[in-house]
Amino acid sequence: MFKQLRHISMALAVAALVAAACGAPTPSASSSPGASPSAGGAASTLVIDRDTSDLISLDPAVLYEFSAVFATHNVYETLVKFEGTDLTTPKPGLATSWDIKDAGSNWDITFKLKSGVKFASGNPLTADDVVYSVQRAIKLNKSPAFLFTDIAGLKAESIKATDPTTVVVTMPKTSSTQTFLIILTFTIGGVVDSKELKTKETAGDFGSAYLLDHSAGSGPFSVDHWTKNTEVLLKANPNSATKPSLSAVLFKHVPEPTNQQFALEKGDIDIANDLGSEQIAALQGKAGVTTTSADSLLLVYVGMNAMFKPLDNVKVREALRTAVDYDGIVKNLLKGNGKKVQGIVPKGLAGYNESTPFQADVAKAKSLLQEAGQTNISLEFLVPTGSAPGGVAWSDLAAKLKSDWAAIGVTVNIKQTATAELLATYRAQKGQLVMINWGPDYPDPGANVNPFTDYKAKSISFRNGWDDPIATKAHEAELISDPAKRVAAYKEITDYVLHNGPYVVLYQPAELFGLRSNVKGFNWSSIGWAELASVTK
Amino acid sequence: MVNAAAVSARGLRLVARAPILANPLNVVAFVLIAVFALCALFAPLLAPYDPLFQDLGIRLTPPSPEHWLGTDSLGRDILSRILYGARISLLVGVVVVVSAGLVGTAIGLVAGYVGGFVDEALMRLTEVFLAFPALILAMAIAGALGPSLTNAIIAIAAVTWAVYARLTRGQILSLRRREFVEAARAMGATQMRIVVRHLLPNALAPLMIQASFDLGSSIIAAAGLSFIGFGAQPPTPEWGVMISEGRNYISTQPWLSLFPGLAILLAVGSFNLLGDGLRDAFDPRLSRAD
Amino acid sequence: MRFLGFLTRRIVGIAAVMVGVSIITFAISHVIPADPVAAALGDHATDQQIEAFRAEYHLDRPLPEQYLTYVTGLARGDLGRSIRTRRPVSDDLFDSFPATIELSLAALLVAIVVGIPAGVWSAISRGRLPDHLVRLLSLIGGSIPVFWLGLIVIGLFYYQLGWLPGGARIDTFVTPPPTRTGLYIVDSLIAGDLEAFRSSLLHLVLPALTLGYFSTAVIARMTRSSMLEVLGQDYMRTARAKGLQERLIILRHGLRNALIPTVTILGLTFGSLLSGAVLTETIFSWPGLGRYATAAAIALDFPAVLGVTLLAAIVYPIGNLVVDIAYFWLDPRTQRG
Repeated sequence: MFKQLRHISMALAVAALVAAACGAPTPSASSSPGASPSAGGAASTLVIDRDTSDLISLDPAVLYEFSAVFATHNVYETLVKFEGTDLTTPKPGLATSWDIKDAGSNWDITFKLKSGVKFASGNPLTADDVVYSVQRAIKLNKSPAFLFTDIAGLKAESIKATDPTTVVVTMPKTSSTQTFLIILTFTIGGVVDSKELKTKETAGDFGSAYLLDHSAGSGPFSVDHWTKNTEVLLKANPNSATKPSLSAVLFKHVPEPTNQQFALEKGDIDIANDLGSEQIAALQGKAGVTTTSADSLLLVYVGMNAMFKPLDNVKVREALRTAVDYDGIVKNLLKGNGKKVQGIVPKGLAGYNESTPFQADVAKAKSLLQEAGQTNISLEFLVPTGSAPGGVAWSDLAAKLKSDWAAIGVTVNIKQTATAELLATYRAQKGQLVMINWGPDYPDPGANVNPFTDYKAKSISFRNGWDDPIATKAHEAELISDPAKRVAAYKEITDYVLHNGPYVVLYQPAELFGLRSNVKGFNWSSIGWAELASVTK
Repeated sequence: MVNAAAVSARGLRLVARAPILANPLNVVAFVLIAVFALCALFAPLLAPYDPLFQDLGIRLTPPSPEHWLGTDSLGRDILSRILYGARISLLVGVVVVVSAGLVGTAIGLVAGYVGGFVDEALMRLTEVFLAFPALILAMAIAGALGPSLTNAIIAIAAVTWAVYARLTRGQILSLRRREFVEAARAMGATQMRIVVRHLLPNALAPLMIQASFDLGSSIIAAAGLSFIGFGAQPPTPEWGVMISEGRNYISTQPWLSLFPGLAILLAVGSFNLLGDGLRDAFDPRLSRAD
Repeated sequence: MRFLGFLTRRIVGIAAVMVGVSIITFAISHVIPADPVAAALGDHATDQQIEAFRAEYHLDRPLPEQYLTYVTGLARGDLGRSIRTRRPVSDDLFDSFPATIELSLAALLVAIVVGIPAGVWSAISRGRLPDHLVRLLSLIGGSIPVFWLGLIVIGLFYYQLGWLPGGARIDTFVTPPPTRTGLYIVDSLIAGDLEAFRSSLLHLVLPALTLGYFSTAVIARMTRSSMLEVLGQDYMRTARAKGLQERLIILRHGLRNALIPTVTILGLTFGSLLSGAVLTETIFSWPGLGRYATAAAIALDFPAVLGVTLLAAIVYPIGNLVVDIAYFWLDPRTQRG
């Protein structure tokens, strides 16, 4: 009998050896687990549960994903930044002042840098670092590079260091300086330690392989490690001018909102990032936890393909817009974790249009359809899988819309599609009704208005087959320098799109967080980050 | 001398050790399956509400006299959804087993009877399909074809057929040399006749047992695929979809996920029970396919 | 010598199966209606970025050429680049594989340690309460959806009762042991780190029990039925007639023969564990292959899907091989010439 047990254990041992052989350490940098977040341990480490499956790189010139933006914002500093919730006026950051000069066909912007700033490595921050950072972003040409090259019209030669504390940027007059400054507040404007990176460069990658899971910045935190699929640990940067109260911040990759909720209630984590509206409701009144909601700049909308009959008829589109029970969605599905917004510019940006003329009017919608001569409409409705921003399941939203539209005689067939396929179909102009969300690349109204109106930009307007002369007005509005005139111009544009465009804008979601009650100072900025340096627990 | 008539009669009669219904467990199995089938077939008559009707005013209410199993996040009646879900699950189970069974059995017949290189090649093919962990292959197929119940059925059938091929082939191999074939040949029967009238019925027992278990496992597989978003889509009242829809409410409204899970447990359990009963009833050596 | 021939034949067979697996998976991943690149780059990507991406991943080449590139890469151990994570697939697999192996082995251990004695006990007490209990529990184990079980287990043992952790491989503030095998349990013992050992063991309990329940049920039933068959046979009666102690008879003669079919299905069991791991890992935030495969399938990340499938598909034949080797020694009949 023991012989058999011996053989079984031998079989198991062989299996384990096979496993061990396969699990043996590889040259890959990520295979070694990092140090424990214990410079202070649990008491001074902020633990955040979040679905970080979108992480690809922590290099500010490469990253463009929400999780990366959130983490890296606290690692690098930018020339200008926003303070608090005001997203309209950039304030001094690494640059103490800037000066815009008219230079014929270009603008010359001269930035004066703060002195005495040090990187985490101890190296001093100079104008050369700023130039290096911008140039490497342009040359690496990854996802966010278009912000510099297309929107701001920069080339690698456009930026120069005239002395250790002065940077000059030359940009064409076809781009807006205001927009450029706003772009600089984003993570792509993060200044990296050129001296350190030059020692870490391999094969002309500007240190990108190193910055994938390390950092070289001057912000209040630096990257300790990124264990793929598991966690990102930021630890306090002693060389930073801003001294955080926390010693470390740990982002744990936990995709299941239920697990996030449980961990929060048990006190195993401090902040849960991806809770649904029901879970937020369930947390109310529970001891030790609190919830907060903040504005996001996202818009959840349904795109109607204006090239697809009968959606090419503006009355049909208006009818679909009119039939939706927006209040019901916000109140019952989102439980108030969202705002009824029907224009293409979200609240928080200049150019926000408060007008919300649509709320379920079955009679009016039906008569619009009659006027259009369309009474028997059947459409395919592409819907993403999973949860929509605001904490409601996409499928629940879809089901609600389906029933709202059924009330006016329009049949929609819900087709829940994986993101990959949905985007591919949408981009190819092959969708009929597509529900999705959009967030601006930078907090400027143009970042929404242009994609939503300019067919040639091959963005949202293109995907919905809508080519309208309003696009020209949108471009003109972008370059207006007088803020009041700009807002007025955008009002006219957004009013037009409200009734003529191929969009049913449903709501602007709130970003929901569950927190332990002892966590203070966590203020979410709608761009997609929080200043972790001001958080205490 | 072999009495041909007696041999063929013996060949057709499925060799059962004891009447199947003598064992009370089998009775339980049949009853449960009957209940399941009735729920599935008569769902429109049995369900108190329309499974898709949303009443946002009564979302998330616990079990009550008006809604025996409570309501879900959109105010839909859970009992009605479970009854309609039985239809979907039954459909999935039957379609998968019938299609995979037919394809697999046909391939196994060919392999077993023709032998030689064809047999080798076909058996390698089954090995390839058996090497895939079922859910991963199903995910790959469903992912490639797009998330829908139909594609989930295709994916699950694709991972199921191989077993039937091997079972059938095994049976054919062990039976073909036996007396009935010799006798039938002696009687002048054609190849086809031999296969259909003599070999197949005896191969049937392990196939039926396998089918019974597969009815259950394909329901679970479909629910699993739906749970991760690859199979049936909301608002379809498929049990896996319902569990998925309820998972974020587990701490406060556990009944959303609890009842569909119990439904799966009962349905699959009854098929497993049936499979056990069948296996015990027939000569256990018959079911030990290799 | 016979053994060597047997081994060679089996290894060649495995290679053939792997080729088949790779062709089929490649075919599946490429005959898709959607373009994974658009999803990988996101909603805001420009057409140029997409084109550049496609060129980088050879997606603009004809299918047979892509397959050839892939296979020649395979020979070098290069599994291509994941479209979703942008890393070499082999790196991604090396990161996630150990976690799944640890979970699967733990579940297998549970299945053997609980299932075999349960099956024996059930067979010995045939018709009485323990038998019914084991059979009921086995029935439930074979019929319960593992993702539902996981939800319940976490809700009950972590959330309500707080007895065990409900996710991840180790406590947040315990450093994982230095990597030797990638299995935290083993590595922490090697490093002598008792805190890491304790923490990772606790974290392993719930997922291993959840994943292992199905296999435990299968093994218990298999053991029970083969024990029953063996117990009723002639040579058992002979042994009893000789007056040997009942217990000794069962253990020595019964178990040995009953274990043979059980060992046979161990290979199958390991394969089904990988399937179950997909859902278990998702529920338990376990950073393994299953979770990686799910994310890959959703993103149509076919280099990753291919990589996972190839890796997973090789386990079944290898598992079978290991079992057959064990069988070779176990079964006295094969030992004779």
